[in-house]
Amino acid sequence: MAQEKIAKEMFSPAQLDSKKSEEISKPSLNYWQDAWLRVKKNKGAIVSLVIIAILTIMALVGPHISGRTYQEQNLQHNNLPPRIPVLENVSWLPFDGNLTRKNGDVYNAYEQKNVEEYYWFGTDSLGRDLFTRLWKGTQVSLYIAFLAAAIDMVIGVIYGAISGFVGGRTDTLMQRIIEILSGIPNLVVVILMTILLDPGILSITLALTITGWITMARVIRAQVLKLKNQEYVLAARTLGLSNGKIISKHLIPNLAGVIIINTMFTIPSAIFFEAFLSFIGLGLQPPDASLGTLIDEGFKVLQLYPYQMIIPATVISLIMICFNMVADGLRDALDPKMRD
Amino acid sequence: MKKSKFFLLLSLMLAISTFLAACGGGGDNAGKDDKEKGADKTAAQEIKMLEAQAIPNMDSVKSTDTISFTTLNNVNEGLYRLDGNQEVVEGMAEGEPEVSEDGTVYTFKLRDAKWSNGEPVTAHDFVYAWQRAIDPETASEYGPYMMDGKIKGAAEITAAAAQKKEYDLNTLGVKALDDKTLEVTLERPVPYFKSLMAFPTFYPQNQKFVEEQGENFGVNSDSILYNGPFVLADWDGSTDSEWSYVKNTEYWDADTVKLEKVTWNVLKDSQAAANAFETGEVDITSKLSSDVVPQYEGDPRLVKWLEPTIFWLKMNQKNSDALKNVNIRKAIAQAINKEDFVNSVLNNGSIVANYAVPNEFVKNDETGEDFRTINGNELLPYNVDEAKKAWEAGLAELGTDSVELRYLTDDTETAKKSAEYVKNQLETNLPGMKINVESVPFSVRIDRQNKQDYDLQMAGWGPDYLDPMTFQALWLTGGGNNKMDYSNEKYDQLIEEAQTTLAQKPVERYEALAEAERILLEEDAAIAPLYQRSSNLLVNEKVENFTYHLVGPEYSFKWTSVK
Amino acid sequence: MAKYLTQRIIYMVVTLFLIASFTFFLMKIIPGTPFSNADKLSETQLSIMIDKYGLDDPVPVQYANYMMNLLKGDLGVSFQFNNVGVTDIIIKSLGPSATLGALAILFGTFFGIILGVVAALKQNTWVDYTSTFIAVLGKSIPSFVFAGLLQYYVAVKLGWFPVAFWRGPEYMVLPTIALAMFPLATASRFVRTEMIEVMESDYITLAKAKGASWFEIAFKHALRNALIPVITVLGPLVVSLMTGSLVIEKIFGIPGIGEQFVKSIQVNDYPVIMGTTLLFAGLFVAVILIVDLLYGVIDPRIRLAGGKK
Repeated sequence: MAQEKIAKEMFSPAQLDSKKSEEISKPSLNYWQDAWLRVKKNKGAIVSLVIIAILTIMALVGPHISGRTYQEQNLQHNNLPPRIPVLENVSWLPFDGNLTRKNGDVYNAYEQKNVEEYYWFGTDSLGRDLFTRLWKGTQVSLYIAFLAAAIDMVIGVIYGAISGFVGGRTDTLMQRIIEILSGIPNLVVVILMTILLDPGILSITLALTITGWITMARVIRAQVLKLKNQEYVLAARTLGLSNGKIISKHLIPNLAGVIIINTMFTIPSAIFFEAFLSFIGLGLQPPDASLGTLIDEGFKVLQLYPYQMIIPATVISLIMICFNMVADGLRDALDPKMRD
Repeated sequence: MKKSKFFLLLSLMLAISTFLAACGGGGDNAGKDDKEKGADKTAAQEIKMLEAQAIPNMDSVKSTDTISFTTLNNVNEGLYRLDGNQEVVEGMAEGEPEVSEDGTVYTFKLRDAKWSNGEPVTAHDFVYAWQRAIDPETASEYGPYMMDGKIKGAAEITAAAAQKKEYDLNTLGVKALDDKTLEVTLERPVPYFKSLMAFPTFYPQNQKFVEEQGENFGVNSDSILYNGPFVLADWDGSTDSEWSYVKNTEYWDADTVKLEKVTWNVLKDSQAAANAFETGEVDITSKLSSDVVPQYEGDPRLVKWLEPTIFWLKMNQKNSDALKNVNIRKAIAQAINKEDFVNSVLNNGSIVANYAVPNEFVKNDETGEDFRTINGNELLPYNVDEAKKAWEAGLAELGTDSVELRYLTDDTETAKKSAEYVKNQLETNLPGMKINVESVPFSVRIDRQNKQDYDLQMAGWGPDYLDPMTFQALWLTGGGNNKMDYSNEKYDQLIEEAQTTLAQKPVERYEALAEAERILLEEDAAIAPLYQRSSNLLVNEKVENFTYHLVGPEYSFKWTSVK
Repeated sequence: MAKYLTQRIIYMVVTLFLIASFTFFLMKIIPGTPFSNADKLSETQLSIMIDKYGLDDPVPVQYANYMMNLLKGDLGVSFQFNNVGVTDIIIKSLGPSATLGALAILFGTFFGIILGVVAALKQNTWVDYTSTFIAVLGKSIPSFVFAGLLQYYVAVKLGWFPVAFWRGPEYMVLPTIALAMFPLATASRFVRTEMIEVMESDYITLAKAKGASWFEIAFKHALRNALIPVITVLGPLVVSLMTGSLVIEKIFGIPGIGEQFVKSIQVNDYPVIMGTTLLFAGLFVAVILIVDLLYGVIDPRIRLAGGKK
């Protein structure tokens, strides 16, 4: 390097312009643009986002791909394991239509039942196509996931922030309301709703709305209690910022980490709460499906037909892991203290 | 200071967790010890049982569930008991009763038997228990249910109490002629009366003991008297999840009893029960759910029998014009492929029911033939073509091209699966049919049934005594369990005859009952029977003479032994 | 502080009273009777039974009666069982549930905190990813699946622990693990998030500059400040775990209160529903108070309303 000759012509004197010394050469970014830039740098988060997008698309399109509806039954074809053309010849993939008996014998369920068709993800005990039901179930579960997240964000965050920030009597009153809501047994409320409403997606939504946001509200309140006495809030207040501005400009960004993590926990809880509701009769009415009910049904026959649980369990875990990766990425991006 | 406290907390948690881990390790050995002990005991006459629930109620006149009944059946005894062939055999009564000419007065001779406190079992104990069972103050559910219309005076006492009038318990048709002679007067001849005497509601109770114990009677194993093959031990009351039967040496037939001990544990989950069985922690599981049964298909340890419990669709004629139409009802009843359902969906040995009185349930006393031989198993069977024809006709009569019905069912797994299947079958086979499934908790379903707030209802019925009447009395006009506005004069008349004029003529009586069944299904399609349930459980091969029953109590251990 | 406490305790009583009242009226709207054989009872008989237990009185009268008895400390007698007092049922079935819940919380939080701290210190390395993965699995696999798998593989196949029942320490291991997954996941995620933030603070930089050891920084300085949200979330979780998990109790045959409670709701056993609700609500309210007090202990910067001196 040092031996390379550097010609003098390559240099020219810098033009000093006092007018431009204050100029910002990078484009000015607001908080959200900045956050997005940083999310983009996180590969895990981007891959996860793509997977979530694919799953969402499949949840919408998937039920129409195989040509069988989610409630079509064919008892002659029940409890068939997954079989996919081409892939069935790859011996280490579990898509060859083979099942293992309890004593270790392996047999091909399709040959045994003389079935020509291919069920990509197999069938359940009523002979319904699990591929269609899986995506139908993903649809419901994703709906519940987004709903739970929305309820958390809207009701939980606002309630908690107000309670913690205003403090005093308002805080006391708001906290007592939360205690009463959590004290009344959920199941009593839930059974009551089976009677007042038609069981189904609406009653699930309502059941979630009643108590789903409470943990979030409590977490946010605790954080706000911690943050509101810190110096930068004091500074903002001294500078004459209104309470609303302090909450939205200073507190919420600092709460981002906790909000996101807590939302990530609400989502699976909500998905399984739905499965629990279905279990006691308030949730989805047959023959509707959700990932929760599919896992529940599959688990019962795990020792005979493991695929019936493994497939929906894989999808739900995939959703959860992706949500968490995105959440971590978002958290790092949104947190103002984490700028590099 | 505070920081050190926090450190203290951390180290405390660490200490506790090491301690618990140590416990876990130590526990492992303890577990092995247990197993070794268990191995020693295999030669001993002891078996380990599982039950899906704790014992709710050991007061025989107030018990209502099979677990209490089963326990009572093994630690107490009535006039008779049922054996492994479901035949009535001697209990507290010695020999056959004397029956009056018209079949309404029974006189029982009691044997010399003792309560576990040494007092003799007398006829007064029976009178006391029966009067207690019917007494509205006791608020027994089964007392009036089992006695009304059968034992003289029972219905009157209940009716008087309901109108808040005076009543006299001595008007109940049961008398102690002396310490060892019991006379029972019936409302009308009851052909199955002897088998009824094996039911726990009719067991004796020692008045002095019950009154001494007062509120405490039956709350734990010390506050009960025993006169059966075993005595109950280590039972702390209804919240206890472990208890055992120990051989009763004072029992009159103690020589027949081989088992020394039967221990019980509560485990609700079927798969967990099978797991416990696999590791040898238990010898006999509780009844398995149909998800677990296929795992043991062909396994000699899987014991199966047909329960006399039928599941059917009740079609409520009160609210729905469509269900008032007999063609629509016939269409519904014939449009469901039950064969596929029991074989592929339930897959647990249950069988198709094309009848309203179960198979392998009762035999004619005179001919020894099963009740089902008269009508066979082909009343209102699955037939899509017939169903479609009836459907078209029905729709034409109604002047509509679509019918929408609510389908009320329980919230259990089997109930939901059945609902999915039935909905699919009806909607596929009957164009224009729309079914809305409503699965609700049991108590809500019963409440809606009582208010007749349903169109179709998936319901089951298990008998309480060995006679077709327990099924057929259900469908009488205005009958207490009808709850679907079914009414047919001819049906009512045949049932009435079977209870009165034909009561003592077994052959004609069965024919009348069979004819009633035919009317109910073939002519009126009042209900759509689906399947008769099968029981499945795992029994260790070392257990001999495992005895189960079809009504009331589920098991008897009097004759059971270990190889 | 004393004034604050007195005030809070008065609030607690009022809250409990309101919860009891709401529950009572809601419970009475649910149709059905507590009689297990309601499908077999004739109408006359049903009317006798309903009359006998005072279930035909107007609901406000029943409510007044219940509240009067409650003041005397009488929780009533269960419908499903013969002559068994509600207090008795609660005391007997709370024991196993509380033991199991406490164990699960202890193990879950302990390992959760360690996992979270380690993940935060090794942010974006394989340690972090593994910790995330465990936490996510802990949350996204339903407890019945986890319990079922543990039972089948660890108890039946490996034979390391008993399959089920509740007879001694070795019987507690599998249910504890199954139940601990949830607090473990929760604690580890919250601790990680908070730790990452705290580790950026000036006082940590200062501590580092002063040459404090890695261990001291993580556990003495940082963790303490990261615990606020963990405690907020785990507080109520303690109650819900100690008051029993329907699923775990069912699979492992544990005679606990969770199963008891769900069943009493399904069969309309009014006195048991009320008694258990009061117990749960009481515990819940008490735990929330403790959590509020803990905020001050853990982070002296937080001053509770009325707590200023």
